[in-house]
Amino acid sequence: MDLLSQFVRYRVGIILGLTIIVASALVPGFFGLTTLSLGLDRASTIGLIAIGLTVLLIAGQIDLSVGSVFALSGIVAVTLQPSLGLGPAAVVGVLAGAACGAFNALLSVVFKVNALVATLATMLIFRSIAHWLTDSQPVAGTDIMFSITLAKIYLNLFTVRSAMFLVGIVLLHIWLTRAVAGRNLFAVGSSAPAAEASGISVGWTMAAGFIFASTMAGVAGVLQSLATNTGSPVFGSELTVMVIAAVVVGGTRLEGGRGSALGTLGGVLTIASLTTAMEFSSVPAYFQQVVAGFILILLVVLDRTVKPRTRAHSAGAPAP
Amino acid sequence: MSSASEPAQGTGSRFQRNSAMLELLSKAGLGLAILVVILYGALSSPVFFTTGNMVNILTSMAIVGIVVVGMTFVLVVGGLADLSVPATIACGAILSLALQPSIGAVPAFALAIALAGFCGLISGLLVGYVGINPIIATLGVGTIVLGIVQAAVGGVIVYGTNPASADFVKSRVFGIPTIVLIFLVVTLVGHFVLGRTTWGRWTFATGSNANAAKASAVPVRAVKAGAFVITGLCAGLSGGLLGLTLQSARPLVGTGYEFSAITAVVVGGVSIMGGFGSVPRAIVGLIFVSVLTNVMVLEGVRTPTQGFVLGLLIAVAVAADVALRRRGVA
Repeated sequence: MDLLSQFVRYRVGIILGLTIIVASALVPGFFGLTTLSLGLDRASTIGLIAIGLTVLLIAGQIDLSVGSVFALSGIVAVTLQPSLGLGPAAVVGVLAGAACGAFNALLSVVFKVNALVATLATMLIFRSIAHWLTDSQPVAGTDIMFSITLAKIYLNLFTVRSAMFLVGIVLLHIWLTRAVAGRNLFAVGSSAPAAEASGISVGWTMAAGFIFASTMAGVAGVLQSLATNTGSPVFGSELTVMVIAAVVVGGTRLEGGRGSALGTLGGVLTIASLTTAMEFSSVPAYFQQVVAGFILILLVVLDRTVKPRTRAHSAGAPAP
Repeated sequence: MSSASEPAQGTGSRFQRNSAMLELLSKAGLGLAILVVILYGALSSPVFFTTGNMVNILTSMAIVGIVVVGMTFVLVVGGLADLSVPATIACGAILSLALQPSIGAVPAFALAIALAGFCGLISGLLVGYVGINPIIATLGVGTIVLGIVQAAVGGVIVYGTNPASADFVKSRVFGIPTIVLIFLVVTLVGHFVLGRTTWGRWTFATGSNANAAKASAVPVRAVKAGAFVITGLCAGLSGGLLGLTLQSARPLVGTGYEFSAITAVVVGGVSIMGGFGSVPRAIVGLIFVSVLTNVMVLEGVRTPTQGFVLGLLIAVAVAADVALRRRGVA
């Protein structure tokens, strides 16, 4: 049991280490700069959404609609390009993501609908809007060349997207560990009544979490649509399980009150290297889903069955 | 997540709520809504009241309806929702067709349902015994099962090889399709189990207050797990019938059925917080959703808009349920 709890505590490092060993065995030249930078670029799509979801999960809520928001904001950004121009259209796309988050917040914070059920419903609603806007056809953007700018590799390693993801992780880490608002987030997630009693506005914190999560999904969606010069209503349908798996691998608990930015970074890198390894060994896409689902279930089971000794700095999540 | 504690918080309301008026209103309200939709359908489309269209509505209702019966158990027991339904339907549809050549139509059908029930058992064990959030558990299990089923048949479409089984499913008794009769039987059995048996009482007890139920020696974990097994079996049966009807099954054949079923159940007034509801209520909700969908199809409303309406219905129905139950406490 002690060994298990040690494993749970350092699981991000252990799992990531194991995955990288397996991946480097399967993929020739895994540590080559090209493979790494491309892998990192791919990971940043999951990663940007995972940043938002980490915040929301720490606050004790969840968003299943991120995949639909991802598709919807990308479509908005692409379809508005002819009339607004590329930059403003991208901004509107991200704002559309934020609006989706506000709607989620309205349902779950104001109308008190269980977040899982509320975002399940909005997942369907946003996806339908995406289909409706595009006639269920992929739409193309105006400027093909811009996607090349996004795909350009700087310093041999970073693309615009992966740089944004890594900067986002660093900012999130500082915010969660140093800022008062970050601490409040843990308090809300650990015990909402206690947080309310100590003068934290639980409703606003949760609402902000929903809006932040959807905004990040919007950013990821807009970047994806710009990188592929396409907006498609079927984008992101398989993302939800992947992203939740990545965040949970990173040690963020589904019950709220615990999580970290660096853990999420580890989780995202794990999922990304797994995906890369499986693609290189030509594992079919549906089997990759099986692996993601399996990891998710396994870690959630571990979270429930093994209680790690409380860490002093993790905002003191009480043992249930 | 707060969901785990929610059923416990909401329990007082169900017993103090002596607003039979309100309940009557909500029941009659839905009946009224069904009438309005039927009236609108009859006025706007000449084909609405034809026998062919009625049989269409009944047949499409039957496939979803079998899942609805299972989903009612999940909601009443406080299990939120079962998102593995698309996977278990695909399991039922694909296996009951793919295994026909090797072991015969009937054993294939039975085995497909049994395996779908086994998937439900895994979800049930995770939810009931390990205590994982039901939506996450069924999302994960659904992803895994769908992947395995796809891998088993190589990710292609499976076709039926046994014409006799297809004829049986398409046959009619006194003009009523066999599928509809099977649906009626499942509904009656479901209603009997939930409303008249010890298991049904246990389901309600677990859904309204799991701690109190546990203290009264109700096998809470088994009852919770059982609800997911029932849903798995129902979805498997529904998927098998769907496969036999279409005589072909692709891996994504069950997509969307989970939402249709959840919408029907919550629109029927079964509480998502658990402990309240019945199979007939869910079926009334299903009738509303089916008739509404049929009218939308006849009106030429596009599929995305239908999905939009479905999602909005879920959100509004659940929000109304929460609001009504809160008022009941006050």
